[in-house]
Amino acid sequence: MAAVAVHQFAPCITCHAWSADRSMVAFCPNNSEVHIYKLSEDKWERAHILQKHDQIVSGIDWSARSNRIVTASHDRNSYVWNYEGSEWVPTLVILRLNRAALCVQWSPKENKFAVGSGAKTVCICYYEQENNWWVSKLIRKRHDSSVTSVAWHPNNILLATTSTDGKCRVFSTFIKGVDTRDSKGGSSSDSKFGEQILQLDLSFSWAFGVKWSPSGNTLAYVGHSSVIYFVDDVGPSPLAQNVAFRDLPLRDVLFISEKTVIGVGFDCNPMVFAADESGIWSFVRFLGERKTSSIGPKYGSQFSEAFGKLYGQSKHGMNNDGVDNSRQRGGVHENCITCIVPLGEAGSSTITRFSTSGLDGKVVIWDLESQQDLLEYL
Amino acid sequence: MCLQNFPCQEVERHNKPEVELKTSPELLLKPILICRNEAEKCLIETSINSLRISLKVKQADELENILTKKFLRFLSMRAEAFQVLRRKPVQGYDISFLITNYHCEEMQKHKLIDFIVQFMEDIDKEISELKMSVNTRGRLVAAEFLKQFI
Repeated sequence: MAAVAVHQFAPCITCHAWSADRSMVAFCPNNSEVHIYKLSEDKWERAHILQKHDQIVSGIDWSARSNRIVTASHDRNSYVWNYEGSEWVPTLVILRLNRAALCVQWSPKENKFAVGSGAKTVCICYYEQENNWWVSKLIRKRHDSSVTSVAWHPNNILLATTSTDGKCRVFSTFIKGVDTRDSKGGSSSDSKFGEQILQLDLSFSWAFGVKWSPSGNTLAYVGHSSVIYFVDDVGPSPLAQNVAFRDLPLRDVLFISEKTVIGVGFDCNPMVFAADESGIWSFVRFLGERKTSSIGPKYGSQFSEAFGKLYGQSKHGMNNDGVDNSRQRGGVHENCITCIVPLGEAGSSTITRFSTSGLDGKVVIWDLESQQDLLEYL
Repeated sequence: MCLQNFPCQEVERHNKPEVELKTSPELLLKPILICRNEAEKCLIETSINSLRISLKVKQADELENILTKKFLRFLSMRAEAFQVLRRKPVQGYDISFLITNYHCEEMQKHKLIDFIVQFMEDIDKEISELKMSVNTRGRLVAAEFLKQFI
């Protein structure tokens, strides 16, 4: 079994993030709070509750080196939490948004973070010492719809975004005074703040879950039409590949090496994609075990009693007919997986452990060490 | 039925089913219309955080028409108990379901689908049963009434 640990923390989890040493996990239990659980003597215990937002928290990211948590919420605000003494102290971020914030991510150097929003903009936030707050610069142009996901290039300058208008864009986020111009950085560091490097118009449906490969050479994102897109040579002449699959669409992706990608989504089971020597991407297999349903759905037998049940059934879960166990997916997650986070050491190019969380409220840790057939792809 | 939490793009701090608002065309998918004939059809409209299934039930004669109307009105009035039932059917249809991302969060998706499929299967049977009982009752009442003239 590839899943090594399953933790049922809450009825429903929107997103989660790990501390640098993986001894603490922060997640949002589908409300305005952020819970932090700590591992003490093989048991997870709730250590802190961060209460500052007043609507559902949509994004959490925990910076590994500076040990700061950034949260973004549908209430248009974002906070940076610093651990001082034994308390998490929030610092306000002036996002200047008038719609919900949807996603957040620290930059690799942890001096900036990006927030995607429902206002069709992306905010790049950085710390201003004299005022003790985080200020933001907005990329206002280009997006025709909500920004669903953001991803930083390892060079700390380029930012990839996906949006519900189906496009994936790459921007330069060079900020004077925060970033230093790197002479060997090549063409990417020459551009001004907010300049669009690339626009990928591959998807006909909403796009989600963009990620860069560890080296920053490949970009992967998913479309709602059950397609995953891989883009090589991000620049003036990109090389794109589409891989369509027959299952439900994905929500998020993760590169575990240059040639292997894990996708998670509505199918409740992580999917592995890999590239062969010639660079052609294809679907390998599902990561979780999947029971094959031997018994078909038993319709017909229950018809006689049907109507009386109609009333009872409409209530929660409708679990009083008990026929449909055969249809359960048999996987670890029972509802859509919304978030996938790597658990490797920072800096290594391959990751064998990662965690997923979903609407069923579970945080599952997966380990690929035992999956011999997958290790050869790494 | 792949829905997710999605806040409103048009109004600050709101979160509404996009399929009802229809303010941003890019958040809607192509509606699917399944027809057996003019009288029986099913419309499925999808958006990023909600979907709407509307049914038109077979109505062969006037009596069935009245029965359907009354029966589905009875159900719609009790829409709270059903959670996924829309209080008012979409124009041109008899009954509508509105499923949002919140329903998908707390209920199992395949059970929700089973419920709607079973509802569709049962509704025809229920209407014809009602029709039969109305007819029998009508016959009985008529017989009783006419007895006094014998």
